[in-house]
Amino acid sequence: MAKEKMNFFDRMQALDRRYIYLVVALAIILPLLIPFNSKTYVTEPVENLYKKIDSFAGHKDRAILMCFSHDASTMAELFPMEVAILRHCFQRKVQVFTICFMPAAKPLMDYALQTAKEDYTVQSGEDYVNFGYKPWGIFLPIVLGMGDDVAKAVETDDEGRIVSNLDIMKEIKNYNEMNLIIDFAASGAVGTWITYARSIYGANVAAGVTAVMAADNFPYLQTGQLIGMLAGLKGAAEYEKLVDVFATYKNADGTVGREFSKEILKDSWVKLSDIKNPVYKTARIGMNAQTVAHVMIIVFIALGNLGFFINKRKNKAN
Amino acid sequence: MTLATISNFIAAFFTLSIFSFLYKDNPFYKFAEAMFTGVTMGYAIPLVYYNTFIPFVYRPIFVEHNFWIIIPSIMGLLYIFRFHKNLSWLSRYPIVFGMAIVGMGIPLSMHAYVLVQMRSAMMPIDGINTFLIFIGTVTILMYFFFSKAHKGVYGKITNIGIWFMMIGFGASFGYTVMARISLLIGRIQFLLGDWLGLIK
Repeated sequence: MAKEKMNFFDRMQALDRRYIYLVVALAIILPLLIPFNSKTYVTEPVENLYKKIDSFAGHKDRAILMCFSHDASTMAELFPMEVAILRHCFQRKVQVFTICFMPAAKPLMDYALQTAKEDYTVQSGEDYVNFGYKPWGIFLPIVLGMGDDVAKAVETDDEGRIVSNLDIMKEIKNYNEMNLIIDFAASGAVGTWITYARSIYGANVAAGVTAVMAADNFPYLQTGQLIGMLAGLKGAAEYEKLVDVFATYKNADGTVGREFSKEILKDSWVKLSDIKNPVYKTARIGMNAQTVAHVMIIVFIALGNLGFFINKRKNKAN
Repeated sequence: MTLATISNFIAAFFTLSIFSFLYKDNPFYKFAEAMFTGVTMGYAIPLVYYNTFIPFVYRPIFVEHNFWIIIPSIMGLLYIFRFHKNLSWLSRYPIVFGMAIVGMGIPLSMHAYVLVQMRSAMMPIDGINTFLIFIGTVTILMYFFFSKAHKGVYGKITNIGIWFMMIGFGASFGYTVMARISLLIGRIQFLLGDWLGLIK
């Protein structure tokens, strides 16, 4: 029997998946090599987190805790947001504590601090403290203990110093002062902070999560259990933009930084080529590639569905 | 050649080895996979030893002579009996202790995951969003009520619930696609930027 001639849609549906991989790879490589500027729209959860952190600027009796709950597999999404938040804190003199309960998160936490502080003169123990890696087995005693006394719960920092002796701790006692916890996770780890730190002590909790986890966390935004959320690379790109537009903005009088304003944000346009350090625009460059890849995927889905319905009609006619 | 250049070359080799699986399974992929598992464990073991065993077991018992720590230490050691056919029951004791902590979290979880969510779902309908949430919540709850056949008017209402769920799954899927593409972007940014220096 003669082999029936395949039409375009038959061929598309029988296409070797490796060609699709190739097209997706090109859709990502080309926008990275030939950069273009696209407008990053800032969403409310990101804006709320920025404003909350900014409200701590210059206050010695306020601090934020950044908990790193992920490993290198999700670094592409979470690392840019961690660096952006750290830069915001260092620029605006917001006191920061960092901690992790996963062995694999420790080098990422150190790397984020190292990367963010490159352009700033910040001192460990005065402007920030890295509490280091703490075993998961004592996660609960630490979370609950910090509700009473942060220094007692953590005891020593990453460099082995007694936390209560550090300058930064002079006006920081518990969640009343360390009033914002941001958990960076590729899992439901943020739920534990909501359950214990939020429910018992009323601490403000925010999340920096992978896009996969974003949909799971939206209900907590609606209830106010999360005060803000950065969702995946898009969230990181939004925060990078806010840092550029407000925190690191150079005023005419030579000072750096300005207050958040919706009007300024609406008209803001950041040219990526003006930002010299590539680390400060990683997420936004990535989102350009993301846009092209999404268009490709939508085209593939549309073609696949079109082929499916055309073949269905053809089979019906036969 | 600096240390950073060498480490970038090694990372690039392993990244390409992992990507080679997209063409087909091969020894480079297998090597990279085994190396990743080994390095992860090799890194975690000393980190846990120095950050858990030394400060929480060795130092309290042998330096500070706080012998109470022996009891939870023995309890922890009972986990090892999991591998012994006849004595594996002993490992249930530390598990039971762990479950007690889970039990402690139940009232708080009930508050955080159920009561607060319920309260939020009972807000007055003051706009299109709250109206959609109301319709979605009611129709989905009706869909999961299996004591009545999904036929007639009731079936039509539960169909609306299916539509709401499908939109929810679609949003989740969209985010998943974005996440996976982001990971690929991260690796390609490393290859083109950190390794080859092509991204300006």
